[in-house]
Amino acid sequence: MKRNTLRMAGIVAAGALALTGCAPSSSSSEESGEDVTLTVWSWRTEDIEQYNRIFDVYEEAHPGVTIEFEAFLNTEYNQLLTTGLSGSDGPDVAMVRSYGGLQGWVSAGQLVALEDKVEGLDAIEPAVLAGAKGHEDGKIYAVPFATQTLQMFYNKTLFDELGLEEPTTWDEFIALNEKLLAEGVTPMALGAKDSWVLPIFADIIGAGRYGATDFEAAVLSGEKNFTDADYVASLQLVADMQKYLSPDVVGVGYTDSQIQFTSGLAAQYPGGTFELTTFKTQAPDMELGVYQVPLPPQAKADQPVTPAYADGGFAINSASKHQEEAAELLNWIASKEFAQLFADELSMFSAIPGVEYKDELLQEMWDLYTASPASYLLLVNFRYGEPQGTAVLGEGVQQLFLGELDAAGLAQKLQTGVDQWFVPGE
Amino acid sequence: MPAIRRRLKTGTGLSWGTSMLFVLPALVLFAVFVLYPLLTALSYSFFSWRGIVRDDFVGLENYVTVFTQLPYKDEVGNAFAHNFLLFIGAMVFQNTIGLLIATLLHRIGRMKRFFQTIYTLPYLVSPLVIGYLWSLMLSPLFGPVNALLKAIGLGDLAQPWLGNPSTAIWVVVLVTAWQWIGFPILMYGAALGGIAEEIDEAASLDGATSWQRFRSITLPLLVPAIGTVSILTFIGAMESFPIPYALGGSTGSPAGATDVMSLLFYRTAFESGSTNAIGVSSAIAMLLFLVIFGVAVLMRWLLDTRERKMF
Repeated sequence: MKRNTLRMAGIVAAGALALTGCAPSSSSSEESGEDVTLTVWSWRTEDIEQYNRIFDVYEEAHPGVTIEFEAFLNTEYNQLLTTGLSGSDGPDVAMVRSYGGLQGWVSAGQLVALEDKVEGLDAIEPAVLAGAKGHEDGKIYAVPFATQTLQMFYNKTLFDELGLEEPTTWDEFIALNEKLLAEGVTPMALGAKDSWVLPIFADIIGAGRYGATDFEAAVLSGEKNFTDADYVASLQLVADMQKYLSPDVVGVGYTDSQIQFTSGLAAQYPGGTFELTTFKTQAPDMELGVYQVPLPPQAKADQPVTPAYADGGFAINSASKHQEEAAELLNWIASKEFAQLFADELSMFSAIPGVEYKDELLQEMWDLYTASPASYLLLVNFRYGEPQGTAVLGEGVQQLFLGELDAAGLAQKLQTGVDQWFVPGE
Repeated sequence: MPAIRRRLKTGTGLSWGTSMLFVLPALVLFAVFVLYPLLTALSYSFFSWRGIVRDDFVGLENYVTVFTQLPYKDEVGNAFAHNFLLFIGAMVFQNTIGLLIATLLHRIGRMKRFFQTIYTLPYLVSPLVIGYLWSLMLSPLFGPVNALLKAIGLGDLAQPWLGNPSTAIWVVVLVTAWQWIGFPILMYGAALGGIAEEIDEAASLDGATSWQRFRSITLPLLVPAIGTVSILTFIGAMESFPIPYALGGSTGSPAGATDVMSLLFYRTAFESGSTNAIGVSSAIAMLLFLVIFGVAVLMRWLLDTRERKMF
């Protein structure tokens, strides 16, 4: 208890320090009356240089505007931003989380609704834009900046050595994994000790089986729920995959699983686009490939799908003294120019359509996604209440792997969890 | 001289105002960094919240939530049980091995400082680092522990230590105890040093065996030290956060097998994204505080009673 309150006090103090750090710049702009400094907060400490280059382009086109990009530790960002937004010298524009993660700031009235202020938002994919909306009022509070897609990565070099190819049918998928097992290579690397990766794995394997977007619509309307036979069958597929994972998979951590893949101990890696940078850093020489997991027998979807979700957006602090300038910046962030710069600098998918990706692999993943998009169901729709769908399924899949639950029991656990707050048809 | 003696009898040599002056710095620090946050958390727990905006007064509703709503109602009992397991594990470990080492160190005398330092080293390293190092050592893929077991022909004993619910919590218990062991060794060492050798010698001359002397002289005289260590261990075990966090992550992996109260608090406050996160997490923090405070006071009282009986 004492330690916790102390920690909170520490966080508040850190936030206050960060605020005083940026205070002089905003006050100096008021004195001169012309020059404006917009403070932008972010959790991407690893991308500071890239963002500075991106915002240099904006500064050149907007004389008198200076963008001060400040990044904070990802895991502490939410607290820092909450403190920053409640003070008088918070950021003008801030990176905010998506879907459920956005709601605290929205319901506290700390962000500005953007419909009348920013153009081009309607061009964004609805499932992605949904991540930027207030759950209660349905208004848009952020310009989404990145989309993450989920798919199967594989080590092309290793596949070539073993004479393996991307599977196009379920039978080929199973044969591929059996062949890898026989060769003594772990077919798939998965860090099941960190439960957040497990709902991602479940959707990569099973979204096609339960019927992706159709099932999503049916669950949201209340026509079906998670105890539906097709959803249970998709979880059974997850259980069936266990023999293609490390023997002690629940003891394997997320970072261990990355190393397992990049060191060639495992041939495939079910994961999100966000893995790409790590893979390229850890194994610059490894040739990577991607595919969508083929449809299993009795699949409800008519083609393999790529689940995706919005990974945060830029929002305006309602306490900012530079509302107009902040809105102008957000208009630029919603433009194709920013989107292209973002894609080029950061090797991530922009949420704004019409971007060309220089990286062939990125372009391939993007083409797969746009050909058959789906939502990362539990993150996109089931993080608006406690317990969150992703948290329940994550822990549940661990129990599934440990033999404490079967697929039907897991589906029931998920349904019981979300039943507590989820009202179909809202 | 008589004046001094009189003053000593009253228990204080200072006027009330002067003594307050000496207490003041500590009191201010205590008020600002302990009492104020504590009372703030207490008041927070009686309100519902929208992000950081305080909403309506809801009385005990946040507490009711902890015991009736998912995921808390499933997790709170489990987490508390693990906290108590950590306490029991640490107690067993330090009152057997810890006391044994302290006694041996007290007897050897010569290399005492050196060994005390060695045993205390883990206590000086950040528990987060300790937990992380152990998680590396126990990794089923690259960890040296399983590799060593296999190398010496004990491959059957190789386990996914942190991936198996029945071993994971014991890993947390043992790593915690391992890190803490230096503290009871120091405390017991100091207490042993404070026991007058004459008593021991007298008993020895009367023909008491080594065990009899330990059982009837050393151990009773160690009771105050054991009591202090026990209370501090209890508080440490209930507040345990860094080691479970480093070994099982914020969700108490696998499947909640290493979950403790501070992790539940952390998840609720910082990871849930729930709009009422402050309300429920404050309630959890208050519950934890009440248990720690209540049991610590009870233990102190029991020890005081026992000590009074002895002397």
